Amino acid sequence: MAKTTAPSNVAKSNRKWITGYSIIGVLLFITYQFLLPWEGLPLGIYDAIYQWMPPSAINESLVYIIMALGLNIVVGYAGLLDLGYVAFWAIGGYCAGWFMSEFFYFLNINFLGSVPAEAPGIHINFWMVLLIGGFICALFGILIGAPTLRLKSDYLALVTLGFGEIIPQVFFNGENFFGYNISNGTKGIVMVDPIPVGVKNLGPFDFGWKLLIFLFLTAVMVFISLRLRRGRLGRAWLAIREDELAASMMGVPLMRTKLSAYAVGAFAGGLGGVAFATHVNGVYAERFNFTISIFLLAMVVLGGMGNVWGVILGAFILSWVNGNGLTAFGQLYNDRFGTDIDFASFTFLLFGLVLILMMLFKREGLLPESRLKLMLHEGELDDEDASSSKKKVGK
Amino acid sequence: MKKNPAKVAIVALAAAAVSLTLVTSSSSAATTLWISSDLPKQGGSADQSASTNKAIKLLLKQRNNKAGKFIIKFREYDNSTAAKGSWDDAQCAKNAQAHVAARDEVAVMGTYNSGCAKIIVPILNQDPKGPMIMVSNANTNPGLTKPWNPGEPEKYYPTGKRNYYRVVTTDDNQGAAAAEFAASLGVKKVYVLNDRQTYGQGVAQSFTTNAKKQGLTVLSDGVAGEGWDDKATNYEALFTKIKALNPDMLYIGGIFDLNGGQLVKDKVKYLGSNTAVKMMMPDGFTGYPDFLALSEAEGAYLSFTGLDISQFPKGGVAEDFQDAYLLTYGEAPTSSFSVYGAAAVQAILDAISRSNGTRKDIFEKMKTVNIPATKSVVGTAIKFDKNGDILSRDITVMIVKDKTETFIKKITVK
Repeated sequence: MAKTTAPSNVAKSNRKWITGYSIIGVLLFITYQFLLPWEGLPLGIYDAIYQWMPPSAINESLVYIIMALGLNIVVGYAGLLDLGYVAFWAIGGYCAGWFMSEFFYFLNINFLGSVPAEAPGIHINFWMVLLIGGFICALFGILIGAPTLRLKSDYLALVTLGFGEIIPQVFFNGENFFGYNISNGTKGIVMVDPIPVGVKNLGPFDFGWKLLIFLFLTAVMVFISLRLRRGRLGRAWLAIREDELAASMMGVPLMRTKLSAYAVGAFAGGLGGVAFATHVNGVYAERFNFTISIFLLAMVVLGGMGNVWGVILGAFILSWVNGNGLTAFGQLYNDRFGTDIDFASFTFLLFGLVLILMMLFKREGLLPESRLKLMLHEGELDDEDASSSKKKVGK
Repeated sequence: MKKNPAKVAIVALAAAAVSLTLVTSSSSAATTLWISSDLPKQGGSADQSASTNKAIKLLLKQRNNKAGKFIIKFREYDNSTAAKGSWDDAQCAKNAQAHVAARDEVAVMGTYNSGCAKIIVPILNQDPKGPMIMVSNANTNPGLTKPWNPGEPEKYYPTGKRNYYRVVTTDDNQGAAAAEFAASLGVKKVYVLNDRQTYGQGVAQSFTTNAKKQGLTVLSDGVAGEGWDDKATNYEALFTKIKALNPDMLYIGGIFDLNGGQLVKDKVKYLGSNTAVKMMMPDGFTGYPDFLALSEAEGAYLSFTGLDISQFPKGGVAEDFQDAYLLTYGEAPTSSFSVYGAAAVQAILDAISRSNGTRKDIFEKMKTVNIPATKSVVGTAIKFDKNGDILSRDITVMIVKDKTETFIKKITVK
């Protein structure tokens, strides 16, 4: 069967996930679309679902997963530390704000939009805006990448940090951008067009359908991640991550490879940004701050840099704890023990503790990538060898 | 890597199973209705929100948790997250869905931030069993209830029904009252600054418009005056420029947090004392001990939407409520916004007590809420116009004297 003896990590088929993923997706869809609105559902289960895992929390964490997968390509695959990823989220979000709302009320452009043709503003079909957002972000990824990729590690991180601060600030103060209003400033762009799915437009209570769409977008990102990793580009990224000098000696074009990592990563940011805008039905400049970049980075690191499933798990857990889990647990705890502890206020303490413990005991993340695990433990092996050889010498 | 999807599935299923077994089913009697608050419980507004929730709980306790024939229970929602450190748009969207989904919940008290209300109101508005009502104790952005920016306020009410009410008056009224007060001081030429944010620009814009109406000369350009840079280390250039125009008064539309301290210091340093060139600010500068502690704040005029807590009528329900708060919690409410939270709940309870307990009927009864001043915890009548804005448009004007906010007069905007 195998004509060539490829390395084991490349030869593995990576399409088996589609079956499992689809089963989970369909189960979730049935739960949220049919089971939850069903009147016969016992109130206890109904309340429990709403307390522990409400539909909007699932959809929100899927958006986080899309972002984290994009960041994983930049940080996990190519090893380029990016501290300003939120900028792509912002650009994606504002693409939705510009092209799917009444923001440009003095214009009247409607291209397969989901609102009546006479509605003011630019109304482009959701699916096209997804692509537009993705490609604009990819373009920005290349734009900031081009001059900065000559830098290495810490210096690169600083420049991306700057980028992540500048773009949101532009939107924050965008009410008067050289005389033009590009973002509505802190007021934000509220009311984004609903998502059309052929037969109807999705209203605020069609979680199931939205869930399906977000699951599909996530699947696209998983597919892209897995396929790219297996291919020539992905192996080039890993080579750069592990040893840039060696990679360039072996003929990997550094600039082009790094730029493509930025572009693909940014593309995911655009997808997620547009999806998120439809999720909250608006774009607010205040969302795009530095802590969100760090939060996304923590998802990637906690889950397992470089491993798609680890990143998904990390993003899911963190977004759930941040948005819902801790509050729900606090409510349960307070009800049980009659206390009045504000659990949500301990979120940061918990994050800090978890990160420290992770770095101490499981540096490679929850579901580690095998290569990275080897790399991270290389030093320990060396030490052991060194000490044992020393002992031998001593003897 | 092959096994990982399965692992993920197992973890997810296990988590779901654990959560189901942990939660005991809560059975509710037919006459129990829930109301909720939706406030940012983390970040800078945490204390304010905690105090508001306390005030609401106290009010419910005073009523024996009853409204008419219904038993009222109260739950708190948090619309902030630790990752953001302030109100979070995703959290607002999620809470809105949760309000609608909670089968026993009939009304919402909130939000604190106008931006969050703009996400929640349209969703509550489209509730198939509703519309569900929301009454805010702190949203002052005019666009939520009346024409302000293009498309406002209609776009927040997709069904055309107005399910949103607020017990505080809007920023535009504050600007109007401030302009009226400035004219009464004999001011002729005024320079307007804003903090470049929604709130500050709104107030500054309304002040500018109304000052012109009052016949004052507005020296600053633009509809909302000039924006100040909150990251600047000093404002020498700004005030040197203003000094050349020789204004009688400086109006600072904005929030003290945005480098207001430095701004005020430099104002006195370069423009002169607050008696020579008067200075006035909206309620974004009230309630800040740091501001009052500045020697440069002496003589500054402040306006406040609604009544300041010190101006609530004495000897009535309003004073009793504050005493009860002090007695129960051992501290005074952090600001009048907390008491306004209780007033919002008063309006909700009034509607519930006259209704049949469904969201639809409570929505209908909300239109005719009328609580006289003698029964209201804020000491002013709670009655709404057809937009959902409170009818009593009281603005308090205060002056900073001996490092305290001292009441000057109450202006009722027509």
